[in-house]
Amino acid sequence: MFSKFLSGINFIARCRKYGLGLWECPNFLFIVMGVVTIVTMVGTYFLSRQFSDEGITIMSVTVEAVLIVTIGSFVISGVEKVAEANILKTEFVSIISHQLCTPLSAIKWSMEVLETEREADCKFSEKQKMFLGNIKKSNEQMLKMVTDLLEVARIDQGRAIFEDKELDLSNLVEESVAGLMRSAKEKNVQISLRIEPGLSRVCVDERKIKVVLDNLIGNAVKYSKNGGKVEVGLKEENRRIVFSVQDWGVGIPKFQHSRVFEKFFRSRNDSRYRTDGVGIGLYLAKAILKHCGGEVWFDSEAEKGSTFYFRIPVPAAKNA
Amino acid sequence: MDNPEKKKILIVEDDRALQAALEETLEQEGFETVGAFDGEEGTQKAKDEKPDLILLDIILPKKNGYEVLADLKNGEEQDIPVMIMTNLEEIDNIQKALDLGAKTFMIKSDFSLKDIVEKIKEYFSKK
Repeated sequence: MFSKFLSGINFIARCRKYGLGLWECPNFLFIVMGVVTIVTMVGTYFLSRQFSDEGITIMSVTVEAVLIVTIGSFVISGVEKVAEANILKTEFVSIISHQLCTPLSAIKWSMEVLETEREADCKFSEKQKMFLGNIKKSNEQMLKMVTDLLEVARIDQGRAIFEDKELDLSNLVEESVAGLMRSAKEKNVQISLRIEPGLSRVCVDERKIKVVLDNLIGNAVKYSKNGGKVEVGLKEENRRIVFSVQDWGVGIPKFQHSRVFEKFFRSRNDSRYRTDGVGIGLYLAKAILKHCGGEVWFDSEAEKGSTFYFRIPVPAAKNA
Repeated sequence: MDNPEKKKILIVEDDRALQAALEETLEQEGFETVGAFDGEEGTQKAKDEKPDLILLDIILPKKNGYEVLADLKNGEEQDIPVMIMTNLEEIDNIQKALDLGAKTFMIKSDFSLKDIVEKIKEYFSKK
């Protein structure tokens, strides 16, 4: 009995660790139910005792207790299943991603060693170089997917760490576009950049905002048709930095607009045109921007293309 | 930086592929490397080899990175600088490693070998 009680307390701690609220912990609810039952039993006993005799009072108290415990247990067993499933899901994502990180880093580093060898003496044929390039690209894709999944798990559990510092978004946007040039070239997509000069600095986590930019610009390239174009813009409006990225690609059907920022959501157009991606890029972008006090939104029409925007407030100027 | 002596780096990492890639790159860059595949070996080699720098993983067999740091802190090896190489998931506990005397940390999936070499060179040039 005592050990069961201890394991119950343990379970509450586990639920809390995985970001579940106290009211989502079945063991906590059991304790609450126990307290509620005893309090109502005592209350009913004294109340009922004023109007009826001992026998009827005891009977009504018993019926009441049985009712509360039955209904309560029924509800709590449902809560318990949900809690278990949530914990399992989070553990699963963390373990899988964690176990994938080491081998993926090993591939990445080994490729890097091969690349320096390749430059040093050209022992590889053109064909081999092409396949090495393919391995590298797939490896990068997988690493990005795994780190994004880990980041989502961390944000969901409230464990994300933001290292905010003041920086100029223009450099990051340019960096992100440069990084996506290769995939754009493969599809013959032109990326044009319009960055207003002299933008104010914003206070953000560099690595995380880079993820947002990579996801938004990457999506625009990904969903462009071959030979299409992508326009990236950055400007300042009312003490806010506004980013936009427009494509003339597959677009998102109107009836799915409300679900675009949901976790694991993929548009019907998306799955028809391509198969890669897990549907966490925009969910992640929204969560990260929310932390910066910013927001993200979009316009889109099926078969015509999409424009995604975000804005981040410029911090109030410090008194020198 | 014109120290004619080769700097010796101890790499404590249980994944053989990561260890091999690091070793190859650092040797190409003119460093001498020593490898250890678990925490106990890491502590032992830090004592025997007296490296100029230690690259330390956190999740290791036998003894984890924190235990290695604690061991080193109590011995004569406390002055050897330690750089932590870890996975994204360990980042919550990274403060513990810094409190135990680690100089800095790198997330393996975020860093390329080039970044690591740069960080090491930067460290030695500052010294």
